[in-house]
Amino acid sequence: MLFRVIDKTELPELLNGFLVAHQVIGPVDKGDHFEFAPVTAADELALDYTLTTLPPKKYLLPPRETLLSFGTTHAEDIEVVCEVTPRVIFGVHACDINAINRLDAVFLGDEFPDPYYRARREATLVVGISCTPFAECLCGLWGTGEVHSGYDLFLFDLGEVYLVSIYSVEGANILEATCHPRPATPAEVLDFEICSKRFHDSFAALPDTAELPMLMDVLHKDATWDELGERCLSCTACSVSCPTCYCFDLIDLTDPDGCGGRRQRVWDSCNSPGFAVVAGGHNFRDSGRNRVRHRFYHKLLSFRAKYGDMLCVGCGRCVRSCKADINPRTVIERLYRDRDRWLTEQGSGATGAEAAAAPAIKAEAAPATPPASVAEQGSGA
Amino acid sequence: MKNAMSANPYRPWPARITSIIDLTAKEKLFEFRLIDSAIREGFRHTAGQFVELSLFGIGEAPISISSAPSKQGFIELCVRASGSVTGALHRMKCGDIVGLRGPFGRGFPFEEMRGHDVLLVAGGLGIAPLKSLINHIHDERHDFGKVTIAYGSRTPADIMFLDQFKMWQHRQDFDLHLLVSQPDDEWTGEVGYVTQCFEGLRVNPLRTYGAIVGPPVMYKSVIEEMRKKGISYDMIYMSFERQMKCGMGKCGHCAVGHQYICVDGPVFNYWEAKNIQGAI
Ligand SMILES: Cc1cc2nc3c(=O)[nH]c(=O)nc-3n(C[C@H](O)[C@H](O)[C@H](O)COP(=O)(O)OP(=O)(O)OC[C@H]3O[C@@H](n4cnc5c(N)ncnc54)[C@H](O)[C@@H]3O)c2cc1C
Ligand code: FES
Repeated sequence: MLFRVIDKTELPELLNGFLVAHQVIGPVDKGDHFEFAPVTAADELALDYTLTTLPPKKYLLPPRETLLSFGTTHAEDIEVVCEVTPRVIFGVHACDINAINRLDAVFLGDEFPDPYYRARREATLVVGISCTPFAECLCGLWGTGEVHSGYDLFLFDLGEVYLVSIYSVEGANILEATCHPRPATPAEVLDFEICSKRFHDSFAALPDTAELPMLMDVLHKDATWDELGERCLSCTACSVSCPTCYCFDLIDLTDPDGCGGRRQRVWDSCNSPGFAVVAGGHNFRDSGRNRVRHRFYHKLLSFRAKYGDMLCVGCGRCVRSCKADINPRTVIERLYRDRDRWLTEQGSGATGAEAAAAPAIKAEAAPATPPASVAEQGSGA
Repeated sequence: MKNAMSANPYRPWPARITSIIDLTAKEKLFEFRLIDSAIREGFRHTAGQFVELSLFGIGEAPISISSAPSKQGFIELCVRASGSVTGALHRMKCGDIVGLRGPFGRGFPFEEMRGHDVLLVAGGLGIAPLKSLINHIHDERHDFGKVTIAYGSRTPADIMFLDQFKMWQHRQDFDLHLLVSQPDDEWTGEVGYVTQCFEGLRVNPLRTYGAIVGPPVMYKSVIEEMRKKGISYDMIYMSFERQMKCGMGKCGHCAVGHQYICVDGPVFNYWEAKNIQGAI
């Protein structure tokens, strides 16, 4: 990976370089919200945006895409449909690039690489941009405010210039063809360090999450889930707006003449009530409690068990989109609160008063692992 | 099939219905032959695996393969009409064409079971996947010790593969229990739930594998009986059913705890199942 510096005035040329052979998608100011949308010139970009309503995942995993078409005379004449537009997604924050890396793990790795996702991903370049944290940001929870792979270029805004992290040869070629990249001066290196420090310091008040996966298991029967489940509207805005949610449904459509048809993949959500219904009508997650818990269990524990990372990048979109105020922050704060309450009730190492007085977020006085009795009560209650 | 399909695992391969047998009022046994010869010859499965059955324009349904792996060239599915895809399949006739993709999932550990006694318990439609295992064991009978099979149905009319059971009943080397919980006047066989045949059953826990497939309510009681006989946690196998769409660990529908039933299962041993939050 190389680091070079370009002047901000060179940005239009850089964009033109991408426009030669790509559709360019970037953050656009829509008045009351930001949105990733096609752009044709640098002045259409709102690179100082806070948060787009939808993440860039829609360009890799479209909300609705046709996978196959069936013949009109013989249904079994199957054609695989895969339309791909060469694209660059320009101006993506680190959290969203980390989210793309999670999707890559699911759709490119494994025993069954997904040919549709792969075709799009391979035709997509990503240009990242640094950001300024705002109230809803939670990337500080998991360190996903930084990204070290998954992009072609990453632009760090240093005022008059961009410090560019160059990851891919495609990125390097376009950068060199359109700009005058030069090594960073000592002053620019210092600027970068100051910016990084300021970025990290802005997350000081976030909860500590080291024990979270274990707590998710221990507190599986916790009343918090009943309460959050009651509140959940099953509207699925959380998973639609989530950059890492990738659940989908497969549906068949018949052409109006009743002959040929298509099989499509559409976004789905584990928060929708029918998601786990099986033949005979039994619903394996028939309550809001079970659905909300399952979604967070997947994000904060089970995805990590399989892929090594949390399935949350702290982008903050669900903080905005959830009408019932259910998001990683509220979940984490409640779990730590309930953990403290339990430690008190079980008379653990920490005295009742100490544990009760400990902030919901960080209880350094308490042991890192609740005693076995707590764990038993957790899974058996 | 997997290698040939690996380019696009969503693509179903056309298969012709070669035989349809009515089993009960709701269940039929279908036999399919994949049309593409390379795909057909490359198709290998283990008992307990499933395919995604496609009816073009209607959708897909995961169905266990009920033919034995030793029977090649044909794929047998035992299907209950319970919704749009399965209902439409029931209205099809021999010669009609459907799509199949798979096989998916992890089946029963046949090679591990070889050389052991087996205790196979099925309830209701659970006989469909278990039939594949029974037939496989039947075909390689000399490699197994004592074979005990218990199959429970609600009424005599719900019993599937009765002819086959009658055939096996004559064999000395199959200890067969066919039970119904709601007998009619003509029923002369055993009455009760499958758990009943554990009474007096002699099991050598060190050399016995258990396998259970049936409705969720059955698992707890049958596992309990197997544990009472001393069979180790990891020698009791069971198959789980969840809503499935992709069969490839992606769509999320079949996720339970940290596992995807479609790729990590559908067959799990009890030790694994105990560790899946919410599985049993
Ligand atoms: C691994 C595995 C193996 C299986 N093996 C067999 C087998 O060998 N034989 C067999 O007959 N079946 C088997 N099944 C069950 C079979 O997959 C279902 O019966 C089938 O998927 C039903 O599909 P359908 O299109 O016919 O029904 P659908 O039209 O999908 O509906 C079936 C029922 O499910 C409910 N339902 C489904 N989706 C929703 C939703 N989104 N919202 C609300 N309700 C919903 C409805 O109540 C409906 O009555 C197996 C399932 C699995 C997972
Ligand atoms: S069926 Fe799609 S993940 Fe299992």
